[in-house]
Amino acid sequence: MSSKLFVDSERPARLYGIMSFRQTRRLLISLLLIFSASIGHASNQEPVDTAWFDTGTLPTLILSLAAIFIVLYSIRTIKAGREFFIREIPGLKAVEEAVGRATEMGAPILYTPGWGGDIQRPTTIASMNILSTVAEKTARYDCRLIYPTHDPVIMAVAQEVVREGYASAGYPDRYRADDIFYISSSQFGYAAAVDGFISRDRPASVFLLGTFEAESLILAETANSIGAIQIAGTDSTIQLAFFIVACDYTLIGEELFAASGYLSQNNMILSSVKAQDVLKILIGLFIVIAIIWATIDPSSTWWRF
Amino acid sequence: MMDRLKTRWIIFGGLFIVVTVSYLLRIKFESTASPEVQKSFTYLEELPEGSVIMVSFDHEASSLPEIRPLALAMLRHAFKNDLKIVGVSLFAEGTAIGYRLLTETAGESGKTYGADYVFLGFKPQQISAILGMGESIMHVFPEDYLGTPTDEIPMMRGIKNYEEIEMIVSIADGALTVHWIEYVGGQYDQPIMAALTAAMITTYDPYLASGQLYSVVGGLKGAAEYENLLGRQGGGNRGMTAQTTAHLYVITLIIIGNIMYFRARKAGRE
Amino acid sequence: MQQRLPVLICFVAGILMFLQYFSRHPVARTVFVSINDYWQIIFAFTLLVGVAAFGKSNLRQIGRGIDTPYRFIALSGLVIMPVLAIIGGIKIDSPFQWAFEYMLAPMQATVFSLLAFFVASASYRGFRARNLQAAVLLGAALIVLIGRVPISEMISDSFPKVTFWIQNYPSMSARRGILIGIGLGSMTTALRVILGIERTYLRGE
Repeated sequence: MSSKLFVDSERPARLYGIMSFRQTRRLLISLLLIFSASIGHASNQEPVDTAWFDTGTLPTLILSLAAIFIVLYSIRTIKAGREFFIREIPGLKAVEEAVGRATEMGAPILYTPGWGGDIQRPTTIASMNILSTVAEKTARYDCRLIYPTHDPVIMAVAQEVVREGYASAGYPDRYRADDIFYISSSQFGYAAAVDGFISRDRPASVFLLGTFEAESLILAETANSIGAIQIAGTDSTIQLAFFIVACDYTLIGEELFAASGYLSQNNMILSSVKAQDVLKILIGLFIVIAIIWATIDPSSTWWRF
Repeated sequence: MMDRLKTRWIIFGGLFIVVTVSYLLRIKFESTASPEVQKSFTYLEELPEGSVIMVSFDHEASSLPEIRPLALAMLRHAFKNDLKIVGVSLFAEGTAIGYRLLTETAGESGKTYGADYVFLGFKPQQISAILGMGESIMHVFPEDYLGTPTDEIPMMRGIKNYEEIEMIVSIADGALTVHWIEYVGGQYDQPIMAALTAAMITTYDPYLASGQLYSVVGGLKGAAEYENLLGRQGGGNRGMTAQTTAHLYVITLIIIGNIMYFRARKAGRE
Repeated sequence: MQQRLPVLICFVAGILMFLQYFSRHPVARTVFVSINDYWQIIFAFTLLVGVAAFGKSNLRQIGRGIDTPYRFIALSGLVIMPVLAIIGGIKIDSPFQWAFEYMLAPMQATVFSLLAFFVASASYRGFRARNLQAAVLLGAALIVLIGRVPISEMISDSFPKVTFWIQNYPSMSARRGILIGIGLGSMTTALRVILGIERTYLRGE
């Protein structure tokens, strides 16, 4: 099956360079057949819900499709040559300063994605985007970049991202795989090891970008105690409060997700960031309408789904 | 730099002394149950005898001093009311702790493993495990923690998935309960209750307000309130003195910090 | 091809997981259970990768004479715990449980307890009434700090109520605003990954 699926992979692709419609259709049908073949025994055991669509999920489907449509439409409009403006994000602007400072001091840079995330989390992907830019800069300045992680998959992906960053900067020989390493999946085992590194090796700049939990303040305060410049960002609202107190720059929530577009100035990515604003306006409108409606008619529930 | 480090050491030393002395003094503070703790207690109190609850130990060993009083109070309450407990853990380190806490509280109440409670152990990849149990718990946990096939455990024979479970209690020190809320609450309409470390309570406030999370018992204060409702004092009440004095210490530090800040600002102007 | 295949797998898996959410049909359930099973299997193998990487990295550093005693301790922990579990089992009175409860748990709790010290130093340094907004924030923080301990009821019955109001209205509305932004950011990032627009996590062209 697999050979048939990919034989014509060199044909012009229509879906962002991934695959043609015919390939997509063939793949989906093949997968469906495989899965259908394996359900016979399950469906004989007890009465099951055989409806293809669960009507209870209709509001979620409509809203999801609307959101996806807005994002895709925004990406499509980029072809019409529209320009996008993204406001200045101090934390991202300071990346250059942080790398420059480490280079001047001859000290390493520490980059951690936190303990709370795994690779399927959008926050980790967003953090990888910033790592890519940081890696390019450290390669150019010949500054050591250290990336301890709690997850072996994140370690493998980060090694590839950093290697690619060094190659893009034109210095593949400066890449050191040993500096991107797995420590422990245990939260405070990880925190203790990173703290130990900060205390012993005294990095000049510390990037805390990803999903953090209780280890956030332990890391940030230790880095603060050695006078390192700190750029932090997370999707955890409670840890944001700690970062704002202890770090020099903090990316608040969605700023972390916008980083990819901001740093790369890739219009396709920027347009999807723009779509977020449109969605935010729509959500705001919905909230205002629901508040007015609920005030006029307190027994109404249509806005609860 | 040295001044900064010196200040830090003074602050750390002060906190150490305050907390240590508080534990030695053993002053007792009375506290009435907050609405959330009362709601959790009432729910477990009113569940019919023999109802099944799932208790998930979603925490690490590090938070044991705070988690233990919380878990003990709730497990004792469940066993006292003859509820059946299915224990699981979505953190490797929560596994041994969960087994110990369940065994300890079950022993106190004279409950039998396999008939009144089971511990299915640890499963990695939390989201996958949580979603998988919505289809079949036995599929996700073919064996219990001790290696017994799950389908041979008498209590598990009538429990296929979340439909047979009245409430999921997630005992957590992080954001893992969010997965229970978003995936099990959202996809299977399963009520979720959380027992959380104090630092995590505010993370769950939006879920609590929207009704996605049934209730929260949070921190040592929550444990102390639960212990009072249960009529059995424990680690929650013992820790309240230290927590109270530590809060007062931090308030004092904030006030001192501000006084010094305004003095420095005034001196700068002059 | 180096990028196409992973992007294709990502696209198919992403679309399937999205669609299955809206169906209770056995086919959808089977797709869902199968993807979940493969997810678990892949993760189990990544744990092996982690252990191998940890061992390799530490042995290499020992070879170079960097932090040798610490690295020996780390490696011995990696070996001793599984050996104890294999030899003595994992029951309540086993050596494994003893090592877990009396060595690992206290060590972990010690690192966690550092948080209390760092909260104290960060509060001292960060909570300054530099302007009106900061003063309001400071006032709210003091009320919540007192409101979260039993002494608040001794001062005034209103304290817990005011604390509850601060946490559940001004604080929560701000947090919800941030959460909505994070949710939208997550969604667009996920869409970019599924559609292959965002490929930083993949190497090479």
